[in-house]
Amino acid sequence: MLQVLKKVSAEPLGLLGLVLVVLMVASAVLAYWIAPYDPIALNIIDRLQGPSFKHLLGTDQLGRDLFSRVLFGGQVALKVAFISISIALVIGVLLGMVAGFGPKWLDSLIMLFFDTIRSFPTVMFALATVALVGPSLMTVVAVIVVTSIPTYGRVVRTQTLSIKNNEFIKAEQVMGASTARILRVHVLPNVVGPLLILASMDIPTVIALEAGLSFLGMGVKPPTPSWGSILNDGYTLIRNTPWPIVAGSIPLLLVTLGFTFLGESLRDQLDPKLRNNR
Amino acid sequence: MTSSNISKQEPDGLSRRHFLKTTGALGMVAAASSASEVIFADGKKILKVRAYSDLRSMDPAFSQGVVDEEIHSCVYSKLIQYKPGRKWDYVLDAAESIEQASPTTIKFKLKAGIMFSNGYGEMTAEDVQFSYQRIIDENLKSTNKPDWGSLQEVTVDGKYEGTIVFSAPYPPAWNIALPYIVGNIVSKKAWQEAGGKVDTSTPCESGPYLHAEWQPKQRTVLRRNPQWHGGSAEFDEIHILPIDDENSAQIAYEAGDLDYTRVSLGAVGELKSNMPSHTVLEEYPSLFYVWVGMNVENETMANQNLRKAIQHAIDVPSIMQASYFGAAAPSTGIIAPGLTGNRAQGLVPPGANFAKAKEYLAAAGYADGVTVTLDVLNKAANVTTAQVIQATCAQVGITVDVNLHESGAFWSLGDSSSGERYKDIQLILNRYSMAPDPSYATAWFVTSQKGVWNWERFSDAEFDKLESAAKAEVDASKRDTMYQRMQDIMEDSGAYRFLTHEATPVVYSDAIKPAFRPDGLPLFRYFGQG
Repeated sequence: MLQVLKKVSAEPLGLLGLVLVVLMVASAVLAYWIAPYDPIALNIIDRLQGPSFKHLLGTDQLGRDLFSRVLFGGQVALKVAFISISIALVIGVLLGMVAGFGPKWLDSLIMLFFDTIRSFPTVMFALATVALVGPSLMTVVAVIVVTSIPTYGRVVRTQTLSIKNNEFIKAEQVMGASTARILRVHVLPNVVGPLLILASMDIPTVIALEAGLSFLGMGVKPPTPSWGSILNDGYTLIRNTPWPIVAGSIPLLLVTLGFTFLGESLRDQLDPKLRNNR
Repeated sequence: MTSSNISKQEPDGLSRRHFLKTTGALGMVAAASSASEVIFADGKKILKVRAYSDLRSMDPAFSQGVVDEEIHSCVYSKLIQYKPGRKWDYVLDAAESIEQASPTTIKFKLKAGIMFSNGYGEMTAEDVQFSYQRIIDENLKSTNKPDWGSLQEVTVDGKYEGTIVFSAPYPPAWNIALPYIVGNIVSKKAWQEAGGKVDTSTPCESGPYLHAEWQPKQRTVLRRNPQWHGGSAEFDEIHILPIDDENSAQIAYEAGDLDYTRVSLGAVGELKSNMPSHTVLEEYPSLFYVWVGMNVENETMANQNLRKAIQHAIDVPSIMQASYFGAAAPSTGIIAPGLTGNRAQGLVPPGANFAKAKEYLAAAGYADGVTVTLDVLNKAANVTTAQVIQATCAQVGITVDVNLHESGAFWSLGDSSSGERYKDIQLILNRYSMAPDPSYATAWFVTSQKGVWNWERFSDAEFDKLESAAKAEVDASKRDTMYQRMQDIMEDSGAYRFLTHEATPVVYSDAIKPAFRPDGLPLFRYFGQG
């Protein structure tokens, strides 16, 4: 892994992506220590201020420090992204391997499940779910998990199918290896690489979805800071001050660029075909 | 070579510099004149205005509120219309005379010669009879039937004369029936030919404008009615553009696409300091009422001391600053200033009293704190208000968990016919529209409205009795006292924390001369050129 990271950081875009991702993760993790203000503390007298040494990104309509809210908003974004993608990965890998290695009827059933989920536009599905069960961080995570499972599941299934009929797998079977062992020892290591690339490329999409739902008032509950809710405040206040829009947009932009550059660089390093072409 | 030599070399005898100077000057003159003269296009005088939603019905029996009425009042006539200005009053329209003949009867006489368009002839008392009685006809199932209160019938006493008869005195008729939605007069013949009701088009008109065109979600076009009994309408056409978002409407206004729009409260400060050229900003008090309701039947909120603690923990002035940018004032109840029944002050002062809130909280048995939910429609001002409430309540140990809802989900929360969710409501931030009569506000909080619009599930025998009596009270002073008492009862129950009536800031080009109701809603039929 360290070797891969070394190679990633040897490329300018890979290095930029890595730096941005590390910065975003570090600022979110260390928000409690580096944020100058409580992100939910109201100070109406100081509302709608522009950037200053006191408030680096200004304040919102409730006088809350936007810089602090952006830092804590990063916690929400990364929490949603990592938790939901991790859960979706685990379930997607399991279902994908079962579909690829299991009997035909089970494969068809799982594919039907994947296709059914994929037939819903993600945002519409999210809006309907939130309308039904109410907005919360858990709802957002659940929506992302459900809509992401088919993506990972399909990749794993395809990889499993291509490995399934290899001679060495048949040899393992003849020697009495269990299905679980074959999946764990032979199939899983072959699908991990592509999945990691896919997951890193998915992180900005998931963060944007969380921000989108929060923008629509259907993500995290107030007063929890989220980049989407900061953007929504900015949209409402655009004629009064541009700073909330700026404060909400910059981290989204940086995190998207960071994870995209990092993902592409990882793909270049982990995909044997691309690596050999270099 | 001198400059005069150069000018002589120009083929048309005009120097380039002279040309530039002249065209530049002409351009400035043109710009100066056109900036305030926005109403001429294709040789027509066109007024372009914004409405917050699209047309939904051209039938007064099924009109769905303010926007439909803004159009109806231009194309139909009424016996009386709201008088433009800052004080609620009416002016005669189709009526030559109208009077309260007895507590239960109103006599009227129509002006002669009011013609319906498309050859539907002259307006008579029979048309008035048809227009009003069809709305109270059970078979028609008009959504606006309640506006006519105790209307029994309209008798035709002559070609132009008639009597509106009520089964019980109904003073609101003068405020919310005759000059508003259900007061529009339609042609009996035309409506009968149309099968008894119409949808988004109309068979004939009698107002200053004709309904010329409707492009869904694009615009409604009204055209001058050459037959109008009131003379000649000011504009050849009025274009009404549905624009939901006030910020977008303001951008459209500043781009010159609109001559009038309501703007957001947040824009007022900026407009005052940086007013676009040839623009007038006016601020009107609104009739809307915003409050935090508490469900008295919910297990937690049934505790009156807890409700009172919350009343005192909510700091209304902070909400006015944060959510309404200081452009709205705290309210004392559900009846706005200027209307009968408005209270000079409420029982609970607008500012929070944390010491009192803590006392009530301790008396409620929650000295160590309590968690309650606050359901909110996910509009910007509401979300901000909810966060201010959250912050001030936290200071006395009340944790407020805010639940945001999109419009569809929110408006079914308290509706008991839509499931069991109404039982879970604890606190709810609500905002109702209002017509200029106090009965329009109190009607939603009687016991029979529990689970319909009374989401607090508030029930009080004295309130119900007063509500019924006040609607029929003809003595204005007694009526005033009754409505004030009703709001006292509401507030004393602890189920209500009244916040504001909001405000209506509007901008318009100085090329037009607008006309507004006292609550800032536009009366397009009276709009003129500046």
